[in-house]
Amino acid sequence: MSRNGPLALLFHALVMLFMLAPIVIVCVVAFTPEGFLSLPTNGLSLRWFKAIAGYPEFVSAFRDSLWLAALSSVIAVGVSVPAALAVARHRFPGREAVSAFILSPLMIPHVVLGVAFLRFFTQIGVGGSMVSLVLAHVVIVLPFAFRLTLSTATGLDRSLEQAAVSLGASGATLFRRVTLPLILPGVVSGLVLAFINSFDEVTMTVFIAAPGATTLPVRMFLYIQDNIDPLVTSVSAVVIALTVVVMALIEKLFGLERLLAGEGGGRS
Amino acid sequence: MLARSSTSGIAPMTDPAPAFLALDGLSKRYADHVAVDALTLGVAQGEFISLLGPSGCGKTTTLQMIAGFTEPSGGAIRLEGRDLVAVKPARRGLGIVFQSYALFPHMTAAENVAFGLEMQRVPKAERARRVTDALALVGLSALAERYPRRMSGGQQQRVALARALVIQPRILLLDEPLSNLDAKLREEMQIELRQIQRRIGTTTILVTHDQHEAMALSDRIVVMNAGKVEQIGRPQDVYERPATPFVASFLGKTNVFEALVERGADGAAAVLGTVRCPCPPHLAGAGHVLLTVRPEKIAFADEGLACRIVSRVFQGTYWLFIGETPAGVATIVCQNDGAAQPGEGESVHLTWRADDAALRPLSGAGA
Ligand SMILES: Nc1ncnc2c1ncn2[C@@H]1O[C@H](COP(=O)(O)OP(=O)(O)O)[C@@H](O)[C@H]1O
Ligand SMILES: [Mg+2]
Repeated sequence: MSRNGPLALLFHALVMLFMLAPIVIVCVVAFTPEGFLSLPTNGLSLRWFKAIAGYPEFVSAFRDSLWLAALSSVIAVGVSVPAALAVARHRFPGREAVSAFILSPLMIPHVVLGVAFLRFFTQIGVGGSMVSLVLAHVVIVLPFAFRLTLSTATGLDRSLEQAAVSLGASGATLFRRVTLPLILPGVVSGLVLAFINSFDEVTMTVFIAAPGATTLPVRMFLYIQDNIDPLVTSVSAVVIALTVVVMALIEKLFGLERLLAGEGGGRS
Repeated sequence: MLARSSTSGIAPMTDPAPAFLALDGLSKRYADHVAVDALTLGVAQGEFISLLGPSGCGKTTTLQMIAGFTEPSGGAIRLEGRDLVAVKPARRGLGIVFQSYALFPHMTAAENVAFGLEMQRVPKAERARRVTDALALVGLSALAERYPRRMSGGQQQRVALARALVIQPRILLLDEPLSNLDAKLREEMQIELRQIQRRIGTTTILVTHDQHEAMALSDRIVVMNAGKVEQIGRPQDVYERPATPFVASFLGKTNVFEALVERGADGAAAVLGTVRCPCPPHLAGAGHVLLTVRPEKIAFADEGLACRIVSRVFQGTYWLFIGETPAGVATIVCQNDGAAQPGEGESVHLTWRADDAALRPLSGAGA
């Protein structure tokens, strides 16, 4: 950091401020004692945190969001790993097409996807269910899982696997002991990005969600359409706090850097 | 223990039949070219063979076909008389060391070495003992718990060698294993590699583009060019009696002079100045022939081929001269034995023993 000139430092500081300020403001507003969105000027209050208890649908939506994100990101990674390995290693007819097809949801506006899925799911009779949410989310998070897995799979030195094969490894053992650990950084970053993207998604989900199967962001979106009280800020503050706690736990247990950048600490 | 019930490791000059490993007309064709063209080679048990040739001549492809990672387009590979091509790569029991070492980055040195034994389901206690032995063999006992990324290139190289040897491979395949090391380390590793191979007697095939490495290590050298075998022989034979001009030029420097063929009382001879080399009958009719002679086989004398020294370079253990002769440019190497050497611009005469020269026709590649 000391290498940077004063202008660069100022620029960095402004970028950080710009990124963090909204989060900080939401967290501060959550403590307001007033009945409307405002910075707390006369004292702090936990009133809006307590208010969450009166809306069990927020809690269940949060739980559903977590399940949805977990399921769809795991399924997306499960599809991505074999696909990325095949695309990275083999020249087969339709290779480019497979790649483009998996990445294509990135190019289509989520509004369009939302309308399309709504119609499609109603047609095949799974509309408004958790199944439809998972299916749709797998499609939109697949590009992230695929892209990141592909980047490590492409850089994979073939001689590593050849060495393992020459030592007698093959099939599932080869994958579990050598291939997977080598592409793990990409797989984990893909999983994390897919999870976040699923958890975050509103534009498409709002079309296909139903009262029995909805996500936290959609629930919040619908809530602020009719209400302008600070309940959504306290809900946001709770989500942010949980995120920080989870990140800190991962860092403590595995090391974020190692997991995402693949500094390979090895099996214990 | 690492040692197999090993043979003495002495290489026979001619292939015994059947060879331990036999490559029979082995070929690999790609869409637009032939990478390996009908390679036939017999390797005796315990022998150290080098595949030597310039980059792109098909050495790695040959090794990959033996290892099973590349499907041959034609020909056969037999190990102890059994067809190897039909055996899955994971079942071939060959040890491989790659140029990039290919150590598993998520495993320590000991875990890397243990991997092959785990795959063979060797019991834990025996596994630990064999890993310890293998690391000791390559002199790395102290670094057993270290991860590859925290090792030098030479140390990684040793782990890779230990990992390949610990499974007691039927053949050890080495693909340019030393070419990422600096010159001094490479020389040390060459000596060590040779000693280890002698001690445990594993049949070894080394791929290299470095003629010195091939000559220093091998019982026999297979010189390859553009997918074809140019010559197979002991290092000194390949060097002293190159079968083709390619081999002569690829293995060290050589002088090529154009010589006049004269018929005398003692039969036809190629003549350069007063140096006369007897001509074999099939060349006797030619007007001119090409005479090749190694720089270190040329000596200064009172008479012979006239030469004017153009440059003189001191190389420590020897002197390197470049001279001009009526027959072409001459390169001469002289041991630095302390004797006075001709200076630049001086006129001298060059001579050599007829045995040290090879003759071939002016045109065409035949020897
Ligand atoms: N997968 C491949 N597809 C097409 N050509 C290849 C392939 N692998 C190797 N070759 C070609 O085969 C020739 C021999 O390659 P290689 O065996 O790696 O040479 P060497 O190891 O002697 O340098 C080269 O011309 C190379 O370009
Ligand atoms: Mg090669």
